[in-house]
Amino acid sequence: MHSSLKAATAAIGSTLLVAVLLAVVDLGNVAAEAGEDRGVIQQVPLGLPSLPARYATLSAEKVALGRKLFFDRRLSFNNTLSCAMCHLEQDAFASTQSKKSIGMEGRTLKRNAPSLLNVVYQKTFFHDGRETHLDLQSWLPILAFDEMANPSMGYVLDHIEKLDDYPARFQSVYPRQGIAVQTVADAIASFEATLLSGNSRFDKWHYGGQQDALNDVEKKGYDIFTGKGRCNSCHLIGKTTALFTDHQFHNTGIGYRASMLDDHIYVIPLAPGIETRMSAKEIDGFGEKTQNDIGRFEITHKESDRWAYKTPGLRDVSRTAPYMHDGSIATLEDVVDYYSSGAAAQNGTSPNLTKLNLTASEKVALVAFLKSLDGDDQKTTGD
Amino acid sequence: MRRTLILGACAAALLLGGGLPAAKADETCNSPFTTALINGQEEFLHVWTLGMPGLGDESDKLVTIDVEPGSANFGKVISSVSVGGRGEAHHTGFTDDRRFLWAGRLDDNKIFIFDLQDPAKPKLHKTISDFSEVTGYVGPHTFYAMPGRMVVQALSNVKDHTGVTGIALYSNQGDFIEKHDMPKGGELGGDGYGYDIGINPNENVMLTSSFTGWTNYMMDLGTLVKDAEAMKNFGNTMAVWDVKSMKPKKVLDVPGAPLEIRWSLRPGDDWAFTATALTSKLWLVRKDAKGEWVAKDVATIGDPAKIPLPVDISISSDRQHLWVNTFMDGTSRLFDISNPEAPKQVYSKKMGNQVNMVSQSWDGKRVYFTTSLVANWDKKGDENDQFLKAFTWDGKELKEQFKVDFIAEKLGRAHHMKFSARPNSKAIGSTKEVYQSLLN
Repeated sequence: MHSSLKAATAAIGSTLLVAVLLAVVDLGNVAAEAGEDRGVIQQVPLGLPSLPARYATLSAEKVALGRKLFFDRRLSFNNTLSCAMCHLEQDAFASTQSKKSIGMEGRTLKRNAPSLLNVVYQKTFFHDGRETHLDLQSWLPILAFDEMANPSMGYVLDHIEKLDDYPARFQSVYPRQGIAVQTVADAIASFEATLLSGNSRFDKWHYGGQQDALNDVEKKGYDIFTGKGRCNSCHLIGKTTALFTDHQFHNTGIGYRASMLDDHIYVIPLAPGIETRMSAKEIDGFGEKTQNDIGRFEITHKESDRWAYKTPGLRDVSRTAPYMHDGSIATLEDVVDYYSSGAAAQNGTSPNLTKLNLTASEKVALVAFLKSLDGDDQKTTGD
Repeated sequence: MRRTLILGACAAALLLGGGLPAAKADETCNSPFTTALINGQEEFLHVWTLGMPGLGDESDKLVTIDVEPGSANFGKVISSVSVGGRGEAHHTGFTDDRRFLWAGRLDDNKIFIFDLQDPAKPKLHKTISDFSEVTGYVGPHTFYAMPGRMVVQALSNVKDHTGVTGIALYSNQGDFIEKHDMPKGGELGGDGYGYDIGINPNENVMLTSSFTGWTNYMMDLGTLVKDAEAMKNFGNTMAVWDVKSMKPKKVLDVPGAPLEIRWSLRPGDDWAFTATALTSKLWLVRKDAKGEWVAKDVATIGDPAKIPLPVDISISSDRQHLWVNTFMDGTSRLFDISNPEAPKQVYSKKMGNQVNMVSQSWDGKRVYFTTSLVANWDKKGDENDQFLKAFTWDGKELKEQFKVDFIAEKLGRAHHMKFSARPNSKAIGSTKEVYQSLLN
């Protein structure tokens, strides 16, 4: 999930508050309680690394509690939004309905909702990497003004305490702490840690030795991905596993284009086969001013991080349109076109981005390969 | 058993109306099942109003204005009932006995039931807070009376906030009875979307229209227009239902988000109008020579390339004219629909920077306009007019009688309007008598 600069500022404050609270309450207790669970060892699908030790063994009861919290609209201030309303299960835990997520009272968030598949392997969270702990991450959207908009942590804990269906379950999973800042976030993180996507046709071919798992066009696409296209310079493929990310932040020109060059003509579909066109200036005459977004720089204030965003993993990428941190590219084909043309190069764009001059058939092959990264469809279950 | 009771109630209503010309709408777009009509001078106007951050108490509220000429308070706010917080207040509807007014919120899905026993001082009678939990739907939009029942058309759903939705039936007391999903796919080919309801009891037909889901209607309009994929998530259909069985029987292609539905009020007529918000067309729905329900595009509203965004429409009781508001240019347009196959714009007046709802008196001599569409589609800054304007209409010109500035009064965004009158008012006539008069 994401948030505006205002919310980010509030969220940073929230993170500091969490840190203070954790110092008092002792984070180790949560892990210790997790260790006491009669845990179930998570099975890791083909193509994924082993899990971080903390999430390698999870009790089904804890995961179920986390799932319940994740899907519960009552966790938002006005009971309309849950984690799952922006990270939809049927959309690979992303959102395909709009470029940018829509939050509390319809507030426009700055960025597109990323997929949560394989989030347990990430080193930082949010497009700008502002959070570094999965078991703290969920508090930011829960408190962000433009997301779930709760006024305080204490308010949320009191609210959960008053709901009939939570206190006993927290007491069972976390007998020493019950409903607490740490346990709410730990339960959600534990559920998210089970959202694993692997065993794709690519995995079966590349790591499983199943030669017919990919067709010739997809295999050609792999060659382009790792060769002429140089996609794997950021979207890494390892010898035994692949997360398709280097966990780094890069300026791909998308952020610069949005901040500096939003003067183009928009094609507006009105109905099937019917469209009109409007300039950005015309639209801004009745719409809100687009929030500026300078990426990782907002967190680090490093010049090199201006308009830089985290490299996303690519598993299930065919299911997570629209693309890029702001959802500004609608299809995989358009993404390939963007990079093939050298991206919106300017000072500061990643040196990895140069004109690729891919042929039409190479583009088709590359997209076909990307579509082979869809993992096993593992539907979660619970109340 | 429950279904039997409902259908029994409907059937009884149809029988009561049988022989009668169908009880159509009063003032002029309410449910035909309301038992009383204001065919004289309306005395009060209720405006379901959205709270605005930074303005007054910031909460949604039911605002009541005295509209009786000669009254000491004519044109003034005489009551304001805040319901707490903002939840995207939108539309309202009377119960069949007009005693209660149901008012919905599209964001937090609360439904407020106001008691209008003293219409000068509406009281909050009951709040339904579990609409989404019970139905799985989001965005209770249209409240349409049936005998002893309230039909609630929703806009979205709790699963993914798309426009796939349905219709819920409640008792007049506010108890959930049953629900019906909008037609989607299958033999009928619907898109699953919903918006308005219009029933023609004599034809045993309910028409429904289609808008969009929570994600789009809550989104800032400029952000939405810049999002081509999101713009594809609008309804392009109307559905024809069998009222008695509450089952859809046909889906009509009406591309570009068909919104309000207005049946011709003349007894025996079998046609209705809608306007498509995105494609800026008037559509006529009627039976063809074979008795099949069909929809056809019969007029263009403004310049569709500029997306004038036709929103509310209001049909005159003599079904000679149709008011059509276009939100983006803040203009109200009057169409001559004496030949419904070929409507012609005959008048227009700019109301302000934006205009949404229009309500006219039964005799068509008084017309009221408000401004808010949905909070995040309303214009911004100084362009954000929020008012109620009252006019007289002499057949040639709208003449302003009064204006209530909802910003200056620190009320909020003015949206849906309903008329009322004191219970013993001479302004109120029986449905039967009023509709019989249309044949004279």
